[in-house]
Amino acid sequence: MKNIWILTWFTLKEAMARKVFIFFFIISLLAILITGLVFALSSNINVIAGGFKNMPFNNPVTMIEMMIVSPLSSLCLLLAIFASASFVPVMLEKGNIDLLLSKPVSRDQLLWGKFFGGILVVLLNIAFLVLGVWLIISIKFSNWNFSFLNIILSVTFTFAVLYSLMILFGVLTKSSTAGMMVAYFVFIILSPLLFAAKDKFYGMIESGFVKALIDIFYYIIPKTSELLGNITTDIISGKSIENYQPILTSFAFLLLTMGISISIFRKKDF
Amino acid sequence: MSLNVIETSDLTKIYSSSFGKRKVEALTNLDLNVSGGMIFGLLGPNGAGKTTLIKLLLGITFPTSGSAKILNKNIGNYNVKDKVGYLPENHKYPPYLSGGDVLQLFGKLSGMDGTELEKKIDEMLQLVQLSKWKKTKVKNYSKGMMQRLGLAQAMINDPDLIFLDEPTDGVDPIGRKEIRDILIELKNKGKTIFLNSHLLSEVEMITDRVGILNKGKLLREGTVKELTEKKEEYKIAIEGDTVYTLPADFVLKINLKKMDKDYYSFKVDNTLELNNALDVLRNNGIIIKEMTQQKNTLEEMFISLIKEAEKENVQ
Ligand SMILES: Nc1ncnc2c1ncn2[C@@H]1O[C@H](COP(=O)(O)OP(=O)(O)OP(=O)(O)O)[C@@H](O)[C@H]1O
Ligand SMILES: [Mg+2]
Repeated sequence: MKNIWILTWFTLKEAMARKVFIFFFIISLLAILITGLVFALSSNINVIAGGFKNMPFNNPVTMIEMMIVSPLSSLCLLLAIFASASFVPVMLEKGNIDLLLSKPVSRDQLLWGKFFGGILVVLLNIAFLVLGVWLIISIKFSNWNFSFLNIILSVTFTFAVLYSLMILFGVLTKSSTAGMMVAYFVFIILSPLLFAAKDKFYGMIESGFVKALIDIFYYIIPKTSELLGNITTDIISGKSIENYQPILTSFAFLLLTMGISISIFRKKDF
Repeated sequence: MSLNVIETSDLTKIYSSSFGKRKVEALTNLDLNVSGGMIFGLLGPNGAGKTTLIKLLLGITFPTSGSAKILNKNIGNYNVKDKVGYLPENHKYPPYLSGGDVLQLFGKLSGMDGTELEKKIDEMLQLVQLSKWKKTKVKNYSKGMMQRLGLAQAMINDPDLIFLDEPTDGVDPIGRKEIRDILIELKNKGKTIFLNSHLLSEVEMITDRVGILNKGKLLREGTVKELTEKKEEYKIAIEGDTVYTLPADFVLKINLKKMDKDYYSFKVDNTLELNNALDVLRNNGIIIKEMTQQKNTLEEMFISLIKEAEKENVQ
């Protein structure tokens, strides 16, 4: 356990030294500033929000928040994938991995250390961005919707699932490009496509074979678009989550992928 | 319990690359024992398998067959490594860390912490003369400084067994001497040092025993003295071209060879044989003007041994 924590801590240091935090910080600051500017300039929204102020459920603010959430969470995730892509490949570089393996550290611990390190880096960065945006909205409308902060968890969890995939490709190829491409592919194309196929077109499809095919892929591939879509919407608006299936299957995917990565890493020659 | 710090038995490593099409036998049925408290030097040409052996012992690569122990524990057990230090060839530290950070990371991973670790870091930096550079990022270190840092890193956890893969690579002559002194001091403290090197003269200076590895096979193993002096070689100068009078089987036995005008070399195993050989020479009317003992340097021994092995391979 202690070893995992040391490795996690040094991953954080690595991110800091590679200026991941500054990069994130600048982009986050931009996003926060733009949000602030939009609200400062548009009296319209202010009026609407003011008009609804005494309603129960504080709907308008939640609505405004949700308008921001979707692009914001996607942006966070794109940045997070980019920032964390090299963590495992750098660890596996010749000369570096030799040293790590010569210490009383198990290979499992090395991989878990990088896993939690990457997640911690992303968690901190996303927390900064989301807190910033939330503060502006909350102050502007004097309406403090704490559920909004749950987006930190949902983006981090979605990232963790994709990160496990990046780790697998990192262990397999020792390069950061492959993992990054696969993560982007799943997030931008595969997951939205499968969700649409399952949610919208499923009824129209006649062939049982095609249906089965969609089902198989749908359940295997992590459901990032739902995690950042419906489920995030649910938790931000303070509702209970309607369907836990995407969370559970994605989490199973995470565990399975990490399991495969570890079992490959355990046998790998360096 | 055995006194051996390193024990390998039938250790074999076959690397298979490009989906098993190309196979490289990096180490073949190696049986090697290294006992504690000495400096052991492993010599061999490029690609002999020296680095592979260290990597196997440290669990960085896995053996194809055979087994090995370090510090009396099977190499599969990663806990044994808290008493082991390693300086890899071409070691690479995360460039964004400072020298102090590097020692902290690897010290912590070896189970050290707190003020004990801080003290040890300063002590080690002092030892390798990098104290001034503690806060400098390693990407700004020179090659020799990296090597010194590597050595400090290998010693940070006060290991009983230290593997050094070409430790003086890129270090200037004064630095080399300092490194040698450090190694000797470690040995005097009872540590075992396993050294891979190409610098035979250097190995000769500090090692107690050496092993010679070629193409994955251990050709020889013994003390430097044993390896360099086993066959004693002498050079003589004689008057006139009279060696043809000698019996052929005698010439063959002592391997008498012409070196230069009047100069011949021959080999004997010990002083008694030397005297016997001189008797035969004298009895055959050979007039000896001059005689000197020719000792093999480790380098000469190494080169002739490798050449011999090449010949055998061809045949
Ligand atoms: N990861 C690997 N995959 C495939 N082959 C390898 C690998 N590592 C080493 N080899 C091969 O194993 C053989 C032994 O290599 P090794 O690095 O042990 O040699 P060495 O004695 O340390 O050489 P040098 O003096 O050049 O450092 C070489 O033929 C090398 O090509
Ligand atoms: Mg080598």
